[in-house]
Amino acid sequence: MAKIRVGELDVHVQRMAAAGPPASDPPPLVVLVHGLLIDSLASYYFSLGPFFAERGMDVLMYDLRGHGRTGRPAAGYRLEDFVSDLDGLLDALEEDRPAHVVGNSFGGAIAYGLAASRPDRVRSVIAIESEPPVKSWAEKMAEGLTGEEGGLVVREVRAWLAEDPERNARPFQLAGRLLDGTTLGQDIPRSRVLGDTLADIRCPVFALYGADSKLSGQAGHLSATLPHCRTVILPDQGHSVLVERTKETADLILDWLQDDIHTPVKAG
Amino acid sequence: MTTERHEAASPTRPESTVLGEVTGMLQEVLGEYGFTDAEITMGTRFHDDLELESIDLVTLSTALREHYGDAVNLAAFIADRGLEEIIALTVGDLVHHVVASLSAEPAAEAV
Repeated sequence: MAKIRVGELDVHVQRMAAAGPPASDPPPLVVLVHGLLIDSLASYYFSLGPFFAERGMDVLMYDLRGHGRTGRPAAGYRLEDFVSDLDGLLDALEEDRPAHVVGNSFGGAIAYGLAASRPDRVRSVIAIESEPPVKSWAEKMAEGLTGEEGGLVVREVRAWLAEDPERNARPFQLAGRLLDGTTLGQDIPRSRVLGDTLADIRCPVFALYGADSKLSGQAGHLSATLPHCRTVILPDQGHSVLVERTKETADLILDWLQDDIHTPVKAG
Repeated sequence: MTTERHEAASPTRPESTVLGEVTGMLQEVLGEYGFTDAEITMGTRFHDDLELESIDLVTLSTALREHYGDAVNLAAFIADRGLEEIIALTVGDLVHHVVASLSAEPAAEAV
């Protein structure tokens, strides 16, 4: 198991090198960023990771701070901390290719955050069921994490477990330790946010939503606001796009990446 | 390795040997949870019986690669079946996958 030291943190990293003919020379770098609390790089390791590697791309996956096999510091969980971990990880790996950064849910906020703070590092943002980290995002995160009964996220996870008592409780226990044992719940709503005009996001963005999720209503606003944006809404689908519609998600992102590979890089 | 590999009929690693090796790797993963005396058979389910979560299978996948080489690719094996299939996966499924991957290896190299 590969651990990479980034600042004070040991980051669990899994890489899958491009197999077969590379999709471009050098191969595109695809970074996969997972979501909050009951998530880890495993969501990609058994889905999009091998899919993109087999199609000639270099894939980088890592566990966010507090998650999976990465360290769990007691404090330091604002969005900018997560963004700076990713920036520092790419430094530590001496990676100078601008990356296609795929983010699922909260992972998408990290992808947008890196695109805004390090535009040289991000070739495109692929946001699965996620939204740019603007003021309204922080307000929603506050409700989700620190509202009554531990917040909406916690209530939803409890309901999900209650549906089927046979469900494995271990990921939930880890999420509980993260909420109870660290400042994550208080920190995330206090994150530095982007301006509502999204002027700092200049790279191409591909946003994928489930039609039945609360986020899909943002698709129109996003494509009207950003200079280069594609949105796709999957019908009859809620928030769990990556898990429940894995194949379509993989194919749609592949189309996006291949269009980018075949588009000449514009000067400036 | 001293065994000579034959293209037409490559020596197959017996299931019982692979089960023993996989059991050792699983016990190491389970040891992190202080859960060391679990009985492991071909019918043991990763999720329901061992309560492994998906990140534990990433650790297991790394151990498999270190032991058997790149021919055994648990990531691709599960990805082909879909994320939700992880729940139904048994130790026997994995053992069969390892045996099949290792016996297919020389043929793949010959192409």
